[in-house]
Amino acid sequence: MTQTTTAASGAAPTKPVVIRRQARSDLSARGEPFVWLMGAALVIGLTMILGFLAFVIYVGALTFWPSPIEVVTRADGRVVAGEVFRAERYRVPEEVVAAASDDVKAKIATDLGFADRTLYRVGNYDIFGEDFVWVSEFDKKSVAFPRDIYMIERVEWGPFIGRIKEIDLAGTKIADPSGAKVAAAHKAAEARRKEIERIDKVDIAGVNHEIEELRLKVRRGELDYGADSAEAAATKADVAKRTEALQVRYEALGRKVAALRQTDETYVATLEAIDGQTKTLPVSRFMRLYRANDLSSEEKFWIYGSRWAEFITGPPREANTEGGVFPALVGTLTMMVLLSLAVAPFGVVTALYLREYAKQGPLVSFIRICVNNLAGVPSIVYGVFGLGFFCYIVGGSVDQIFFPEKLPTPTFGSGGMLWASLTLALLTVPVVIVATEEALAAVPRTMREGSLACGASKWQTIWRIVLPRAAPGIMTGLILAMARGAGEVAPLMIVGVVKLAPELPVDFTFPFVHFERSFMHLGFHIYDVGFQSRNSEAGRPMVFVTTLLLISLVLMLNAFAIYVRNSLKRTYQTGQF
Amino acid sequence: MSQTKQAAPEQRRPASVIYKRDKKTKASVLFTDAFARYGISIGGSLVIIAVFTIMLFLLWVSFPLLDGGSVRGTKSYSLEASEVQFVETQMDEQQTVAVDVKLNGQVEAFHVATGAKLQAPSFDLAGATATTFASTLRGDDVLFAFADGTVRTGRLVIKPEVVTAAQVPTGLKQLDARDLTDGTVVYSRIPGQFRTTKVELSLEPAVQIADAGTAILKADYRSGGTAERPLKTFVTLDATGKLRLSQAYSEMNMLTGEATTQVTNTAIPLSVPAESVIKLLLNTPGDRVLVALRDGTIYRYNTRDFANPKLAETIETLEAGTELSAVSYLNGENSVVVGGSNGSIAIWFGVDRKSKDTTDGIVWTKVHADFEQQAAAVTDIRVSQRTRMFTTSDATGNVWIRHGTTERTLLRLPGSPDAKGLQATIFAPKDDGVLAIGKNGAVRLWSVYIPHPETTLQSLFGKVWYEGYSEPDYVWQSTAGTDAPEPKLSLVPLIFGTFKAAIYSLMLAIPIALLAAIYTSEFVQPRTRAVVKPVMELMATLPSVVVGFVAALVLSPIVENWIAAVIIAFGVIPLTLITLSFFWQLLPQPVANVLDGIPKLLAYLAAIILSVWVSSKAGPLIEAMFFEGDFKRWTGGEGSGQPFLFLLLLPASFLFVIIGTRPFFSGKYRLSLREMSKVAAASLELLGWFSILTLSLGLAWMMSVVLSEYGYDVRGGVVDTYVQRNALVVAFAIAFAEIPIIYTISEDALNAVPQYLRSGSLACGASRWQTTRWIVLPTAASGIFSAIMIGLGRAVGETMIVVMATGNTPILDTNIFNGLRTLSANINVELPEAVRDSTLYRTLFLCALVLFAMTFVINTVAELVRQRYRKRAAQL
Repeated sequence: MTQTTTAASGAAPTKPVVIRRQARSDLSARGEPFVWLMGAALVIGLTMILGFLAFVIYVGALTFWPSPIEVVTRADGRVVAGEVFRAERYRVPEEVVAAASDDVKAKIATDLGFADRTLYRVGNYDIFGEDFVWVSEFDKKSVAFPRDIYMIERVEWGPFIGRIKEIDLAGTKIADPSGAKVAAAHKAAEARRKEIERIDKVDIAGVNHEIEELRLKVRRGELDYGADSAEAAATKADVAKRTEALQVRYEALGRKVAALRQTDETYVATLEAIDGQTKTLPVSRFMRLYRANDLSSEEKFWIYGSRWAEFITGPPREANTEGGVFPALVGTLTMMVLLSLAVAPFGVVTALYLREYAKQGPLVSFIRICVNNLAGVPSIVYGVFGLGFFCYIVGGSVDQIFFPEKLPTPTFGSGGMLWASLTLALLTVPVVIVATEEALAAVPRTMREGSLACGASKWQTIWRIVLPRAAPGIMTGLILAMARGAGEVAPLMIVGVVKLAPELPVDFTFPFVHFERSFMHLGFHIYDVGFQSRNSEAGRPMVFVTTLLLISLVLMLNAFAIYVRNSLKRTYQTGQF
Repeated sequence: MSQTKQAAPEQRRPASVIYKRDKKTKASVLFTDAFARYGISIGGSLVIIAVFTIMLFLLWVSFPLLDGGSVRGTKSYSLEASEVQFVETQMDEQQTVAVDVKLNGQVEAFHVATGAKLQAPSFDLAGATATTFASTLRGDDVLFAFADGTVRTGRLVIKPEVVTAAQVPTGLKQLDARDLTDGTVVYSRIPGQFRTTKVELSLEPAVQIADAGTAILKADYRSGGTAERPLKTFVTLDATGKLRLSQAYSEMNMLTGEATTQVTNTAIPLSVPAESVIKLLLNTPGDRVLVALRDGTIYRYNTRDFANPKLAETIETLEAGTELSAVSYLNGENSVVVGGSNGSIAIWFGVDRKSKDTTDGIVWTKVHADFEQQAAAVTDIRVSQRTRMFTTSDATGNVWIRHGTTERTLLRLPGSPDAKGLQATIFAPKDDGVLAIGKNGAVRLWSVYIPHPETTLQSLFGKVWYEGYSEPDYVWQSTAGTDAPEPKLSLVPLIFGTFKAAIYSLMLAIPIALLAAIYTSEFVQPRTRAVVKPVMELMATLPSVVVGFVAALVLSPIVENWIAAVIIAFGVIPLTLITLSFFWQLLPQPVANVLDGIPKLLAYLAAIILSVWVSSKAGPLIEAMFFEGDFKRWTGGEGSGQPFLFLLLLPASFLFVIIGTRPFFSGKYRLSLREMSKVAAASLELLGWFSILTLSLGLAWMMSVVLSEYGYDVRGGVVDTYVQRNALVVAFAIAFAEIPIIYTISEDALNAVPQYLRSGSLACGASRWQTTRWIVLPTAASGIFSAIMIGLGRAVGETMIVVMATGNTPILDTNIFNGLRTLSANINVELPEAVRDSTLYRTLFLCALVLFAMTFVINTVAELVRQRYRKRAAQL
């Protein structure tokens, strides 16, 4: 940099000159302070993004790692057992300082009113009423890691941390919970729980669904032929007969579930929390149990892996703060596919029109500016439009015409998969248009002219010559649109994303993709668990892991876009800014 | 297009070629071509139109907000004339049955749509005729007062009930398309079922209030308490001018089922004769009695202490020469509408001014007086039971519908049943109709549709004086669902919040993004640049929900705990960097040359880490020394404002000192630098820097002391009480969204500056910094401007970050430590709750429209500037 000046002037003294000039440059001309400020700005920017990613990846990746359980005896004799959640330095409130002993007071004073503290996840929400406890460093008398402390993940109420006092397997009482017999019993109990869930969610729901279909059939008949017509009466009679049969099936299933539940009640475990309170629970309520302070590395890996597996493939539990994100993942992916199906043809056709067919002039450049600007319009505006136009106006009309029997319950008249995808398609179509146009513009005119000169028609030229050359650019635009769609939450909250969807938007019942269903979304999952749940602290691990998943998805798409762009080399790219 | 024209003559070329070939284009090719052309043209245009429809759609949805309302239909008929005047009329929610009540207790009911007479029970007053009558605003609790000084309370309800078709008797008389009747009950067809409407009433035994034989002339009545223990409150004025407030508790004896009523009276001092009083007004809690006199004077009594009512205030509502002709509470019973004999209308309510002139400090103020005057004296005011609408009717029989808060005349109902005046008007309970009965018995029913009475341009964008506020203000408070407090829908706090978030975040993002862009484009090796730029662009791909979540749950507690350190860091980081840069100059040139590049980047990193560490250590120290030991408490108003003022004045005093010391660092000084050895020159520069630093620190300190002496305190402005989720945290978070955009676009703009300009400058002997400062930056300025504009556009529209990281408080407050609510966050928070086509729904669409327009304008300006710049750069 600065050498240039030195070198240039350094050449001067070879020939004697009248005016002797020092060969040094003026320091202040180099603007070193400014260079430092600029360089530091770049470093700050890089630190922000890399630090952010590192933080999210670090926290997200470590969340599922089984951590040891500390048993802390506090200054006043109370005992706390829990996983270390996080630690921080905080300003000690005055009333705490006032109540503390003298040497603690002195210590806080030397730290200018600050002290360190640790947040323990103590679990046992059903017993303690809170599952997190802050313990200040000065409040810790001793810390121990007893080997017999269990971490029990339960179906309800979050984890239980404590000891297992006794296990009662249908009358056989076992004191040592680590034996193979208990493991087998737990496995059987889990199978029973899954069976009950399956009957509840699949069989009984199926029967209910059929009954509902029949009710709608009656309603449809009434609407088509009139309430008092013979046809309606005939359907009604037929439906009544079939409903009765279904009712019998329903009751049989109910009895089956009740029997299973009864068996379940006989396999119980008596748990003891760290403060001596006990609780008796059926073994089937346990998701996973392990001795947190007595794990080998393989066991830890095993637990880590099984937690990830549950996270990816399992349904959410406990108001989304535990369990998995499978429905959200499926919802996000389905929406992305639908979005790209909608956005690709429209975006490409519009770009083709603007670049190849429309007469270039002030009007087209005006439209181009506007399209460019639409990419900068806030996403929430599209959400508002989607709600008002797609859900209420288009969806409302569709309901009136095709699903009158379900009214006033809306089918397409409220937020759902289709409307969410279309809204996001509208949101991302400018991105695709701009990218495609850029790609089309990058195909040199000479190639087109060559093709036309050979007698190809315009469409043949576009189809055989222009589009293949532009394909990488178009692909890049599409993938970027999908990435944006995956990360966008605000408009979706208005047009169809819900915190808990009873059914997946894609399943094995006809018509396989259910456009009208509302769905779950990873981004909204983060918002919901982090901000809407009972205890945002309890949902934190879930949020971090979901964040990691979402960011990986988005970054993977972006990386893929860059890869596509680079591998299908844009030979004819012109400078573009 | 043009190509096809060229292609066509080619086919008609004379056959001079040797190969004989079919020169006709295949039909399928022609067809595909035509199909593609039209298909793509139509499809493309449609997509463009569709995208532009968004704006029109938003406009279309939000436009009805400004529409006053319309009359959907009118009906006229005549009631059988009756010689006894009635004192009360009311109708049910579905506009099925209306009743007239007369002073002798007789109740006449008629079918609202047709006027057909219906049988209805009457109050059995044992032959007596009441001297006055009172009812609640809803009209279902009634009170009769008599010449012997007694009162009787009762209930009058028009009761709807849903029945199945099978329960409807046969042989009913058809009233109209919807309704049937058996003479007493009206059966209305509703989808799938029937609804019956009939009049039900009950009457309590007489209670002696005034002295026996003294007639009660005026009364007002409210019913409250619980269902088990109803509390009836009424105020009565007897012929001797005695004003009494009474409370009647009814208690049911569980064993006998008998109800016993206990009445307690208290006398209210009144100094005017009974004849001058035209109306008594009581509120439901029974803690306020208004006595309206004919001359417009209203006495306000504070009866919170039941045993000891006090005259709190004498209000002169009208100018001299005008008589009070109608007065009524508005819905909520906190405002009074006053109608004068000159046709004037005004709304008064109490404002707590802690005044010494009234006994309770509340001063009743004429808040809304800008109503259009009625042509003749206002004879009747009927108020809506759910909004702040009311109807006014005048002596010539005209009925107008108005809205209290906006002072707007919504509808002048066309035609009058009787030009000589009206006996009564009813404002239908659902605000969807007005019924007027003329003195001659003629009736006119207007079906009206007023969906959005409370919104005008003034209420959306201007200051409005709402009930309970001490002055007009911009307020957003959409209590959707409940009806008693009116929704307050001013977009101003939201637009303000939008720009507050955008500007604070830009103040953080612009320096970082621009400086980084300049460095990347001008000072970094191309190989490093190829890595650095995509990494910075990675920031743009982060989903905003993730950024918002981290900002709210991780960053905001940290910032809260370390607030002093964060604030100091804003000064420490640049100062450390500049100081270190002067030390760097001390390095011998060969060493500096070797270290240039990655090691220098690491040096920057080390400098930043150092300054962050220094700030974190100094934070608590400085807090203890200057901010009362706790910065947050300091923002709450404790201690002196001077230290913070010092920090704020620092940049200004720096600028001042640098300009002031220019003569010393003149060309001569710089020439002398050249004469010295590098180390000596660098030491001199370092010395110069330290003197500038000391001078400006001293100047800022002095100025802050002086300003503080004059009583200037930053608290109350940009710095005030600390809230955990505040604009500072949001600024950090939005900066994540803005930095990559500003960075990329301005880096592109800088990069587009032709290389030969740089080469020329460097060849003339300018340093790299000088080239950047005097050649590259001016050339790229417009491109950089457009980058900032696009960044602003992005910040304005950011939603999830703001929803999560702010408290979403819609307030007008520049305080950086307070929350805010942006237009986008507002839509996101409220739209899921808004009922379709309600006022809130449409107002949120208006928010979206405003947001759309704002970003569209910002982006268009940026785009135009950028295109011009691109053209200019191409010409250079």
